[in-house]
Amino acid sequence: MSVPRTHYFIAFLRHLQTRVLVTNAANSVVRFENVGMRYEAGPEVLRDVTFTLPPASFHFLTGPSGAGKSSLLRLMYLANRPSRGVVSLFGKDVSQIERRALPELRRNIGVVFQDFRLLDHQSVFDNVALPLRVAGGKEDQIRKHVSELLQWVGLENALDNLPSTLSGGEQQRVAIARAVIGRPRLLLADEPTGNVDDAIAVRLLYLFEELNRMGTSVVIATHNEALVSRFKHRQLHLEHGGVEFRSDGADS
Amino acid sequence: MLLRRSDLPLSKDPAVRILPWVVGLMVYLATLTLAVALLISTLAADWSAGLTGTVTIHITAISDETDTEMTRRVEEAIRIAMKTPGVDSARAVPVAQVAALLAPWLGDKAPIDDLPLPRIIDVQLSSSEKPDIAGLKTRLTEAIPSAGLDDHQLWRDRLVNFLSAIQLVAGVMVALIGVTTATVVVFATRSGLAVHNEVIEVLHLIGARDEYVAHQFQSNALKLGLRGGAIGSVGGILTLLAIRYSAANLEIEVFPTLIFQLWQWPVLLGVPLLAALIVRFSARFTVMQALRRMP
Repeated sequence: MSVPRTHYFIAFLRHLQTRVLVTNAANSVVRFENVGMRYEAGPEVLRDVTFTLPPASFHFLTGPSGAGKSSLLRLMYLANRPSRGVVSLFGKDVSQIERRALPELRRNIGVVFQDFRLLDHQSVFDNVALPLRVAGGKEDQIRKHVSELLQWVGLENALDNLPSTLSGGEQQRVAIARAVIGRPRLLLADEPTGNVDDAIAVRLLYLFEELNRMGTSVVIATHNEALVSRFKHRQLHLEHGGVEFRSDGADS
Repeated sequence: MLLRRSDLPLSKDPAVRILPWVVGLMVYLATLTLAVALLISTLAADWSAGLTGTVTIHITAISDETDTEMTRRVEEAIRIAMKTPGVDSARAVPVAQVAALLAPWLGDKAPIDDLPLPRIIDVQLSSSEKPDIAGLKTRLTEAIPSAGLDDHQLWRDRLVNFLSAIQLVAGVMVALIGVTTATVVVFATRSGLAVHNEVIEVLHLIGARDEYVAHQFQSNALKLGLRGGAIGSVGGILTLLAIRYSAANLEIEVFPTLIFQLWQWPVLLGVPLLAALIVRFSARFTVMQALRRMP
């Protein structure tokens, strides 16, 4: 597996930074108030979850398997609605937002899914271009930005490849590129280091930190304790359906 | 309306592959049904036009009556008719012609010449002046008790009612074909939604509007609908031509108007286009309904 050219990627992100308007008018990017969540008639997987993530924050979402990390992320990227309580994104109560305005809100959220969820029938290029296309971007601009980004993540020779022909690490880079191509204000990643070795996991974390320095709030769900202890960021720890903040020597 | 690039691999869906053939079959049936309705419409107009503008006076023969007496009564009837407002002409149909009309029913060997045949007077009405049919009937029966007048109204009304009923049935059949097509598309689209559920969720989560996803389905459906419609339409028209050819070989005028009028062709050729639009809007409706259930 080729090593991602991290420095190129970081350069690309800085290049974006000059054009990204990070609006920090709201004093929180994510705010949960007494949120409960259950799937259909099942038991509550999240209970009375209350927390606030400020703009440009970086959090690890930790907790044992089955604690509800993925469910919490699903609430944050608007894949599910809470059974009770209030979820606010970028200062707006999601339940008060008209449904037709939600796509616009979702375009401010980049998601790296645990299983990548790349479109198998589409090329690497088309997968990464997807967020720009659904947002109605112009094709010449899309071609320029996607080509640049794929070059900077070291996949310039795989533009026309199908995801199934790539290694797990390469697929992960495609998934990350898709998540950041739309310049999100909130980046959510579900176990992004689950399929890569430690060296690549560390590089990925550097990339996320770089995005965070540009003003993007980052939440990474992970089981990787070594990674959590190495990168001193606050933890949003989930257990028994509830949440607590842990610092473990975090800077912020 | 058609997409060059699709985020969903819809062309590989089994349900989508059979859709053109289903639409083709429906368009074929609709084309034939509509053709029948249009032909009946033409037939009804022709028959009605043939009966309108004419009335028939018939004078029953009286036994032991001489030809001279009968001829006198016929001339009297013509005179009364010609004096009636709105009558253009009145002409006695020759006895030989009346006999010829009866010959097919009575057979070759029937002694037609010995039969007391009624005399028929063909009265042509004016198209510019309203004819006084009731007055003509009164004066005629007063002057010639054995005379009668037939304005064909009863026959025409029954004919029109019958043909209208057939047209109504044809219209209902075309509507049912449309509903069936829409139902098939709804189920095929639901199948597509289930197959591509994961991709649709990804599109949804990265900010695709419902219309964006629906556009992918409806564009594909329109393409398949047009393809199927073309197949069905060509098949239907070829079948009509074959029927016309077969009818011509019969050398009898069973369907004297099995030729479509100019305005009827766009109606027939509009069937596949209408079917394609039904397919498109059914697909869109189904997708939009399904997506509305997503958060």
